[in-house]
Amino acid sequence: MIRSAFLTLYARQQATMTKKGLDDMISFHDITKQFADQSTAVENFNLTINKGEFFVLIGPSGCGKTTTLKMINRLIEPTSGRITIEDKNITEWNRQELRWNIGYVLQQIALFPTMTIAENIAVVPEMRKWKKAAVEERVDELLNMVGLDPDTYRNRRPSELSGGQQQRIGVIRALAGNPDIILMDEPFSALDPISREQLQKDIRQLQADIKKTIVFVTHDIDEAMAIGDRICLMKDGGIVQVGTREELVNEPADDFVKNFIGDRRDPWDTRVKEVMNPNSHLLASTQDISDYPLYPAPLYIFKDDRTYVGRQAEEGIVSNDPAIHPEDTLKHALKSFDNTELEALPVLTGSRIEGVLSYKDIVQFMKKSQLEQEGELV
Amino acid sequence: MATLQELWELFSTRQGEFWQVMWQHVHMSVVALLFAVLIAVPLGIILTRKQKLAEPIIGVAAVLQTIPSLALLGFMILLLNQIGTLPAVVALTAYALLPILRNTYTGIQGVDPSIQEAAVGMGMSSFRKLRKIELPMAMPIIMAGVRTSMVLIVGTATLAALISAGGLGDFIMTGIDRANNAYILLGALPAALLALFFDFILRMTEKRSQGKTLAPILAVLGLSVAIALAPLFSFAQQPQITIGGKITAEPEIIANMYKHLIEEETDLMVDVRTGMGSTDIAFNALQSDDVDVYLEFTGTALTTLLNQTPEPGTTEEEVYEQARTGLMEEYDLAYLEPMAFNNTYALAVRGETAEELGIETISDMETYRDQLTAGFTFEFADREDGYIGLQDIYGFSFENVETMDSGLRTRALTTEQVDFIDAFSTSADIIEYDLALMEDDENLFPPYQGAPLMKQETLEEYPELEEPLNRLGGMITDEEMQEMNYKVEYDDEDPYDVAEEYLQSVDLL
Repeated sequence: MIRSAFLTLYARQQATMTKKGLDDMISFHDITKQFADQSTAVENFNLTINKGEFFVLIGPSGCGKTTTLKMINRLIEPTSGRITIEDKNITEWNRQELRWNIGYVLQQIALFPTMTIAENIAVVPEMRKWKKAAVEERVDELLNMVGLDPDTYRNRRPSELSGGQQQRIGVIRALAGNPDIILMDEPFSALDPISREQLQKDIRQLQADIKKTIVFVTHDIDEAMAIGDRICLMKDGGIVQVGTREELVNEPADDFVKNFIGDRRDPWDTRVKEVMNPNSHLLASTQDISDYPLYPAPLYIFKDDRTYVGRQAEEGIVSNDPAIHPEDTLKHALKSFDNTELEALPVLTGSRIEGVLSYKDIVQFMKKSQLEQEGELV
Repeated sequence: MATLQELWELFSTRQGEFWQVMWQHVHMSVVALLFAVLIAVPLGIILTRKQKLAEPIIGVAAVLQTIPSLALLGFMILLLNQIGTLPAVVALTAYALLPILRNTYTGIQGVDPSIQEAAVGMGMSSFRKLRKIELPMAMPIIMAGVRTSMVLIVGTATLAALISAGGLGDFIMTGIDRANNAYILLGALPAALLALFFDFILRMTEKRSQGKTLAPILAVLGLSVAIALAPLFSFAQQPQITIGGKITAEPEIIANMYKHLIEEETDLMVDVRTGMGSTDIAFNALQSDDVDVYLEFTGTALTTLLNQTPEPGTTEEEVYEQARTGLMEEYDLAYLEPMAFNNTYALAVRGETAEELGIETISDMETYRDQLTAGFTFEFADREDGYIGLQDIYGFSFENVETMDSGLRTRALTTEQVDFIDAFSTSADIIEYDLALMEDDENLFPPYQGAPLMKQETLEEYPELEEPLNRLGGMITDEEMQEMNYKVEYDDEDPYDVAEEYLQSVDLL
């Protein structure tokens, strides 16, 4: 069983690795950016963003996240290194055409005030010389997509819209030309909390529907956690850690990461090995077994070299109980209890017994972490 | 104060001329504004792209605007070596650059950087960004600059009359010269209304195009170009000979006599262009072929043009001969026969004062040098054959001397702010204000007889001009001239008619 699990895992990893080669969307190769005043914004930066990924760049201000973003659409040119999109150096494109294929959403929203909503949305399609009817259709489609009635809003001016509505237009303006990539530079930070939360939800939904590669800069870790497929935490022009939300939370690379993301560990994500009892009274060696009465149940028996033998039951030794791996999370471990009446299960690495995890252990651990969290709050 | 009725009457009688100067004013203003826009807007745009140049260039434009407008007009005459519409338009254009330039620059600079970034980030080219984003956003500010410039131009264009460019300033200058408020108003009021009207049009244009489209602005631009080019399509017969004249009534009357005589006796068409602010302007105009003939006085020719001083006591003939040979030798100019009247400087005392004090000559005035207040023109006060020479030759100076513009002196005289003025001996004021001319018993003032001055080459090209121009030689007495001046200045008769009337009375027509 363990072997098969391992094989599955291995196979999946292999698959992502081969897929990764095909799915590279944006790659930074040894990028360094020095500004005219000799300050270094980004140094020796290497990163690959996958196709269709919602990728978040985050870090404290001055970490180089916005510089990194703006190098993708060449608003900022790197001092050295190269950036590729689908393996093609971005300098090989005509600069304008490159940008038509990269949607751009700004923190300041920056709708063009002299244009109507429809004209704002139509900017890139018009530059791409779409037919007039196609442009109009696209405008209506996009307005509908973000829940703004085209007949009502098409001919309004940006100033007539609320901040949240304006940034919706800002987002669909970036989408209008059907770009493969969308860059968002702290797009929601100027909005009120309610609009922000709504837009975060919307953009997540939108991304799920349209499968664009989105590179999203934010300084708000909650926002990053809420929407990012992968998160790249930057500091002083370099990458501290790249990973999924879970990876960052559960395996922070260093204290900076830990501090930056704060304690958002879900106690249920704790590894079994930290909760289990290695010297439980529910454990006994084959030698000691005779000393034990048929008490307590269950009683897990191992040989002297801690090779698991089985559980002593009325009907004899039972060895097919569900086993828990020490690296499993509590959440995962809980599922194993679903399939059994037992109140404790053995924790095994291969055939070696590491300890026992009981309901009591879990409850005690939860109680403890609850108290710790409250303590922190005080 | 001129009543509205006076103004209306003047307008009715001068309608033809009014619409002509109105058109000149509109044309001059529109052309200047058009050039200013065509120069300053692109320049302002370039400056936003080349920031380092911005400060020095805007500085230069600012300096241009600090030059007093009249000085700028004068400077343009020297620079372009001609008078009339061209230097006026150039000066007005230079004058109007700054507001448009500065507003274009600051308007575009003022476009929110994040909006600029959005435009660039979305893949707009620099030109597209300018056309779609920056210009529409900066338009209200640019238009404000254009409107400021327009008001400046329409106002300053009234001064263009001084360099013979015409326009509503003609009426204003005539009004100041004749101390006639109705004339001043007939020039000033329409100029103000014109400014308001243009402002209204520009504001409507701006409102109409508010961020949506540049079409209304292009329409107005097109219309301006049409107005600017209109004179090219006029089919009026081009006059071959242009006769110039300085700003007062007298040269205008004489110039019109020349016109009558030339057109009567030859096949040439004559255009009369008077209103030139000074001797320098008229003389430059002659040298640059802006005018072919103008009336110059023998004394002026000798002193101002040739920098010679006539010996005190020289006869009229001697002065004319001296001027004629000098002009021929130095400038290759032909100076034809002078007329009889001698429009020299004279000191004119209020009639009753002269009688009271029993003074008849300038020497007599010495006794009252601390009681009589003088009202001199700037020019007279500063001339060797004026007040400076007077102090030399008569050996005394007046205690109280006020210097003022010539148009204001008669008013100062009637309100008894001054007791005597320098006057020209043929001036209509002598009749109007009942002035007594003091005899120049030491022969300080050289004779000032009017005679046609022209280039020798012009005379060679049109030899038929000599005869009609010489017809007036030895004609017209001081009194006749005073009377004709009076008719134009005080009875507001048309110089053209006055000239014709005289010529008919002496059987020259």
